[in-house]
Amino acid sequence: MVATDLLVQSLLNGLLLGGIYAVAALGLSLVFGIMDIVNLAHGHMLMVGAYVAIVLFTALGLTPIVGMVVAFAVLFVLGMALQRFVLEPVVGEGMEQPIIVLFGLALMLQSIGRIVVGSTAQATDINIPGDAISIGAATLSFPRVVTFVLSIVLILGTWAFLKYTTTGLAIRATAQNSSAAQYMGVDTDNIYVLTLGIGTGLAGAAGALLSMLFPITPYVGWSYLLKAFAVVVLGGVGSIAGTLVGGLILGVSENVGVLYLGGGFRDIISFGIFVLVLLVRPHGLFGSSGGGE
Amino acid sequence: MASITDTFGDLFENRRRTALAVVGVLALLAIPYSTTPYVTDVVFTGLVFVMLGVSWNLVAGYAGQISLGHHAFFGVGAFVSAWLTTPGRANLPEAIQSPALLAIAVGTLVAGLLALTLGPVLFRLSGHYFAIGTLAVAAIVQLVLLDQRRFSGGSTGYYVQNSLSEDVFFVLMVLATVAVILVTYAIVKSRSGLGMRAIHDDEDAASSLGVNPLRYKLLAFTVASAMAGLAGGFYAQFSLYINPDSTLGVPWMVDTLVVVVLGGMGTMAGPILGAGLFLTLDTVLRETAGELATTIEGALIIIFVIFVPGGLYKLLKDRYGDDEPNAAEAQAEQAE
Repeated sequence: MVATDLLVQSLLNGLLLGGIYAVAALGLSLVFGIMDIVNLAHGHMLMVGAYVAIVLFTALGLTPIVGMVVAFAVLFVLGMALQRFVLEPVVGEGMEQPIIVLFGLALMLQSIGRIVVGSTAQATDINIPGDAISIGAATLSFPRVVTFVLSIVLILGTWAFLKYTTTGLAIRATAQNSSAAQYMGVDTDNIYVLTLGIGTGLAGAAGALLSMLFPITPYVGWSYLLKAFAVVVLGGVGSIAGTLVGGLILGVSENVGVLYLGGGFRDIISFGIFVLVLLVRPHGLFGSSGGGE
Repeated sequence: MASITDTFGDLFENRRRTALAVVGVLALLAIPYSTTPYVTDVVFTGLVFVMLGVSWNLVAGYAGQISLGHHAFFGVGAFVSAWLTTPGRANLPEAIQSPALLAIAVGTLVAGLLALTLGPVLFRLSGHYFAIGTLAVAAIVQLVLLDQRRFSGGSTGYYVQNSLSEDVFFVLMVLATVAVILVTYAIVKSRSGLGMRAIHDDEDAASSLGVNPLRYKLLAFTVASAMAGLAGGFYAQFSLYINPDSTLGVPWMVDTLVVVVLGGMGTMAGPILGAGLFLTLDTVLRETAGELATTIEGALIIIFVIFVPGGLYKLLKDRYGDDEPNAAEAQAEQAE
């Protein structure tokens, strides 16, 4: 039997980790909801973001919090370029073209990663002083708390951007009905470029945050893609609140599940939850309808 | 039997193509007896690519269901055949020890049955959801086997033994590849093949005309997965070493995708041409570009989808055309 203290500790750690999962999933969910494209290279972009933070940390000693901002910027530009030069020419020809192109991109990022940084696992350290927080018998480590707070800031920021800015309004309009948005003078091509940029930027930020908690290798891409997609499915495509809830559920189930089943099961648990949810509710726990067609 | 001549009649109508195929098969059969073991190994890998490409093309190219879990069935076929020829390594009873060919047949069957069981569940999903769902299922299969070191050898891997010589195996592999191509061709040309293409083009329309989408998707998925299992069984028994990291890994899916995209999706000759091109590229790239080989392969996928959407097959066809046009070709073109 697992001690209660340990259970509470895992539960809280899971919640904190879930925040980052939600950030990673939010980018995927936005792109899927608005553009109807699943970015199969999302996990690999997260990996690139993590390495941006790792390189800044090892070379300059910069805290990964700065790394996160830089990772967001780098991946934002990469995502915009990807949409403009690679995806735009193939979208509209069929569903399989973007899937195959993004699969190819994922492959490229992974192998470039292996060449540039090698296969050894690397991580960052938060590098700013701070104390762990005690809640009863449980202790929340400082980096975990900081990453959680930053995650919430990123999610709220994205929400506010979509809700209160004119560009955000244009993005939402395009998601609802791209033709109607076009008639109202929205340049939907530019909106798609911007959306993919934000989506991949969030992947990069999530990667930088994860580098504080877990060692990263160039091979983690597929695993994080599936986790992010599991969260999207749990929360429903395009729903920001749903994504946050989905992320927390995944983080908690993973951490608590590992306690009972062992560390080798971490990924099996998330992928299992994912497949189960697809089985029961193919459009997600909180999703109303829509995607997948 | 009349039906068989009907089915394959079109195939042999084009004399030049028939002659090319026969010469090709004979040349392949001669490889282990006339070249070095290195060349034999390389060509064997090429045949594995052909099997994977042709079978995946049935699900993705014809039925339009982008499965990203083809490598799981390849790996399952490999591991089941390994357990049967070499049960001792997995602490399985020696009583199940079987000859290599039987082991491969069982591996094929298990891969097919697995697909038949998972199919109805996975086909509740469509489009992107199906692609990611299959990727997740494949990841679970790999993670479970990685965790069960007793059965998979873990990261150390699994050494396979059998009593057949490499040369005999190679010849059998050539025959099996031909069989895979002919079976796929027969399905594509049959009523079921028409149903698959109808689903690919417009599932709702096909459904409203009385085509049962699940039935044809399931048929394509099961047959293709069994073929992937067959390829895996041959691979395990020929290379005599498998491990859950590489044999169940995504790279096999990548290779499959490259082969089909390079050659031309939804065409019979595409994956075969693609396998030839990919094998040449891969062999040359590994020697010249070293580590960059995979990066270049990824770039090739993207470049081909954007600039050569029909693949090598369409490129050759546009350039040289057919000097003996026949009904099947015209029909296929119309269908596209």
